[in-house]
Amino acid sequence: MLSFKNIAPFLSAEQNKVSRWLSYAGLGVGVLLLLCSIQMFININDLLQEKNSRKDGADFISVTKTITNENMGKDNRFTATDLKELKSQSFITDAAPLISNQFRVKASAGNIIPFSTDLFLESLDERFLDTVPPSFTWKEGQADIPIIFSSDFMEMYNVFAPSQDLPQLSDKTMSSVNIILECYTPYGVQNFRARIVALSDRINSVLVPNNFMQWANKNFGGVSQVNPSRIYIKTIDANNPQLLNFLQEKDYRVNKDKTKFGRVKQILQAIVSGLAGFGVLVILLAMLLFSFYLQLMIAKSKDNLQLLLTLGYSPKWLSKTVAKKWVPVYTTIVLSALLLTGLLQFSFQHFVMYDREELSGTMHWMVIVVAVVLLALTILTNYRLVRKLLFNLN
Amino acid sequence: MQIALQKVLPVFFEENKNDGSQVWNKIVSFSKGQNIHIIAPSGSGKTTLIHFLYGLRNDYSGHILYDANDIKHFDAEKFSIWRKQHISIVFQDLRLFPEQTILQNLEIKRVLSSFQAAENIAAMAERLGIKTKLHQLCKNCSYGEQQRAAIIRALQQPFDFLLLDEPFSHLDELNRVKAMELMEEESKKRNATIILADLREIEYFKSEITLHL
Repeated sequence: MLSFKNIAPFLSAEQNKVSRWLSYAGLGVGVLLLLCSIQMFININDLLQEKNSRKDGADFISVTKTITNENMGKDNRFTATDLKELKSQSFITDAAPLISNQFRVKASAGNIIPFSTDLFLESLDERFLDTVPPSFTWKEGQADIPIIFSSDFMEMYNVFAPSQDLPQLSDKTMSSVNIILECYTPYGVQNFRARIVALSDRINSVLVPNNFMQWANKNFGGVSQVNPSRIYIKTIDANNPQLLNFLQEKDYRVNKDKTKFGRVKQILQAIVSGLAGFGVLVILLAMLLFSFYLQLMIAKSKDNLQLLLTLGYSPKWLSKTVAKKWVPVYTTIVLSALLLTGLLQFSFQHFVMYDREELSGTMHWMVIVVAVVLLALTILTNYRLVRKLLFNLN
Repeated sequence: MQIALQKVLPVFFEENKNDGSQVWNKIVSFSKGQNIHIIAPSGSGKTTLIHFLYGLRNDYSGHILYDANDIKHFDAEKFSIWRKQHISIVFQDLRLFPEQTILQNLEIKRVLSSFQAAENIAAMAERLGIKTKLHQLCKNCSYGEQQRAAIIRALQQPFDFLLLDEPFSHLDELNRVKAMELMEEESKKRNATIILADLREIEYFKSEITLHL
């Protein structure tokens, strides 16, 4: 059976060892860099995922109009057209206004907690709420009003309570506190009993059922159609550059805190993508160096190769046989890089992240797929190059 | 297999140069089993014709056919198939690997088709008197020894046609006869045709057809 061994003495394959070994090393480093970058990209994604505020794989962000010195005195609320425009954007899945109260509201906690404050109320479509207990409903004539309270407000209260000689409250006790809502109507003050039925991590507000707000605005504030000053949008990716560009263009302000992780993620992933790009560059340079080596080898063996073709050796067979010689080398390089990536991922998860649950200690399947594709591409490129060089000899 | 020449003429030939030629610009065909002797004085295009027939050059008008296939349309891959199985050659300029031994030069051809057994190389080398040179680097052998090696190499494969371009130019009379005998013997085994091109008529070559170029 004919093999590379038969034709090896006719090729100057052993020359230019330095450039050959350099290209091997370059390929190894490049592949390792690329695979590690991909794994890191996935790690960042896993580590910086806001699991709580995400629902159905979407981000919910509150949008307001930016208040500047120029527009301070004007009406900075969203019109129906603004809302329609927001909804029509491809990167916004859904949008809903936060309707605020158009009448004065004062809240007090009765005799147990001697505390009273002017308050604002808002209502939002239930689709946008992270926690909606069954008791969050209201019927006309009902004196009890369920409230969904922001966890952040609750935290704020607990921070300043001791200095005001007020008791700090746990989530549970909070729901048992009876709050008295004093609504100022044209006909005098009307009292409601309010109860906190849920805390929301997502929405920074004091939410009441939608139908109560509409009824109260109409009856107490004399307004049936209210333009909202805040809108909640639902989007697949809060860091979509198109979305951010759109918001910036319209001079809309987003809750930056909500996208803080996203921003860090974006920056880190950009850095890692840069590294991956560098890895690709190193691979390309290594391949280029190797192609120079191959070209030189074939140029040096040109007379011999030409004579082999003259004697009846098939150029297809020759290119396959010559190219095949490097398959084990390439396989070893890519496999070593893959193993090293696996080892690094394990070490990262174990020694740097102390076995955090959201991070896997093994490589992502994507990394393995990329390694296999890289290997196939390298072998194919190599084969095509040898073949081209050999066919050009004739 | 059959080789046919249909009005083949080198494009670089001056006008009237082919006058009187029995090959150039004529329709000629060579069939298996009939030895052909082409007699050609210097400069009449003998080596050119052999190179045309083997497909090394294609700067000619007209057509050369292997069976019904016009070899002008062949790529390197297709030529390799014919050269491996059907056509063998002894070049005037020998074309051996100078940095390899005589044996390596013969083996590289033998292993391509495995038509001959390995031990036949030694037997043939012995017959032509170069057995002791088998392990010597080709470039260190005399031209005559190299020519015998080139002849033995041409016999390491199956063929229908054996093209010889002045194959004895560096051999003495005795070695010429021995080499011719060996080639005729091997050709008969394959029921093949020898096409021999030389400056003058070679009396120990038994040819059915003689053509003047």
